[in-house]
Amino acid sequence: MIFDIALIIDSIPKMLMGIGLTLQLLFLSGALGLALAIILLLMRISGRWYLAVPTMVYIYVFRGTPILVQIFIIYYGLPQLDFVRESIFWPILREPFGCAIVALTLNTGAYVSEILRGGVLGVDRGLKEAGAALGLSAPHRFIYITTPIAIRLALPAYSNDVVSLMKSTALASTITLLDMMGIARTIVAETYAPYEIFISLMVIYLILTWFIQRTFGWIEKRMSRHVKSEV
Amino acid sequence: MRKLLAVMTAAVAVFAWSAQVPASAETLRVGMECTYAPFNFKNADGELDGYDVDVAKGVAGLIGADLEFVCQKWDGMIPALLANKFDLIIASMSITEKRLEKMDFSDTYRISVGRLVGKKDSGWELFDDAGKPIPANFAGLKVGLERATTYSDWFENELPEAEVVLYDSNEALYLDLVNGRTDMIMTNPMKAHLRFLSKEDGAGFEFVSPQIDERKYFGIGVGIGLRKGNDELKARLNAALKTLTEDGSLEQYALKYFPFAIHQ
Repeated sequence: MIFDIALIIDSIPKMLMGIGLTLQLLFLSGALGLALAIILLLMRISGRWYLAVPTMVYIYVFRGTPILVQIFIIYYGLPQLDFVRESIFWPILREPFGCAIVALTLNTGAYVSEILRGGVLGVDRGLKEAGAALGLSAPHRFIYITTPIAIRLALPAYSNDVVSLMKSTALASTITLLDMMGIARTIVAETYAPYEIFISLMVIYLILTWFIQRTFGWIEKRMSRHVKSEV
Repeated sequence: MRKLLAVMTAAVAVFAWSAQVPASAETLRVGMECTYAPFNFKNADGELDGYDVDVAKGVAGLIGADLEFVCQKWDGMIPALLANKFDLIIASMSITEKRLEKMDFSDTYRISVGRLVGKKDSGWELFDDAGKPIPANFAGLKVGLERATTYSDWFENELPEAEVVLYDSNEALYLDLVNGRTDMIMTNPMKAHLRFLSKEDGAGFEFVSPQIDERKYFGIGVGIGLRKGNDELKARLNAALKTLTEDGSLEQYALKYFPFAIHQ
């Protein structure tokens, strides 16, 4: 086969027109997802069953089903219910962008809360006991001792989830959004050149991933600047 | 064993003989899928029925030929025609440049068009009396289309004012129209009727445009396929199709399945 370089050069700028939408999806659902994850985490470790059990169910459902199915249920399924279309959420759910944000947020929230829980559980018991011995209250111990260490412990896994969220944004193209993937699919449908187009798209996503990794690498280093290097 | 052999030989002989005997009239063998409702399909009684079948019968009646239908899978349709397994393809086959390289087509007996579907009584003035779109009135309207189809081509070039939303499947078009995410959709009117407008979901919707048939986008239409070099037969087919158009037969065939005519 012939690799059509001219087509690649021609289509990369077109696909980059969708990078804004890809980044909006990433940042908005990333931020909302993180907020949701923190709430879920607090409910999960609250020690009260009526908070912890619903959280566990929620996390099980959203981690246990494909995100594509979740997107389709939110986009195509919910509007079938009349009360959804009459509710105050309809302006958000009417727009494919709103649906994508909701689906990505709910999904990433479930994953991230488990990542954060891993961080919290990883904090050495002795440190908390030391805090108690110093007379710190439980909330204080959580905020000043557990949290900073838990964040440091959770960061590597969290950066992984951000990369995976970035990749999931491509699924928004299935609900009519013209993010980079949506534009690429349209070009492919017109030019019948999947190889050239999707490989160029891959390169763009890889560059994005590189930026995410570098950013988290920098944050990790900064957050560990008081810790003696172990590696 | 010998007896069986004799019977078989006899059977083969009879079969060969019957095949050699010339029919009283000319027999036209017609290839179709026999599974493509409502154009060619087997009805509840097991008989072939549909728009293509009616056209075949109408044409044969006019040119005084007997008909023999041959059911053939779509991907082998043209090879079978070229291999002389049948004489005509009347199977909703669109006339395309690529196909014309290998075979010949009669005039069209079915159109290739697009049509807009939207909410009933929406009060939009989208088309003038001559059936031309009024671009300004499309501004701000959301139109659902399938990705990379003739319909999306037409909209991009003729009506850039409209806001186009691209879908991956025909079903999704109807879903989001019902859900109110788009104001209208453009698709094949026959599909729209069969899959949507005639169903419960489509009750509040109707065609909001005339049939749009610009050849540049929508192609020529569906014709009867035949092998190259049969110009005399082709002329007779065209004459028959002309008669069927003029005497209203084609419209009658269409009205069995659709509330509108589907020929030019």
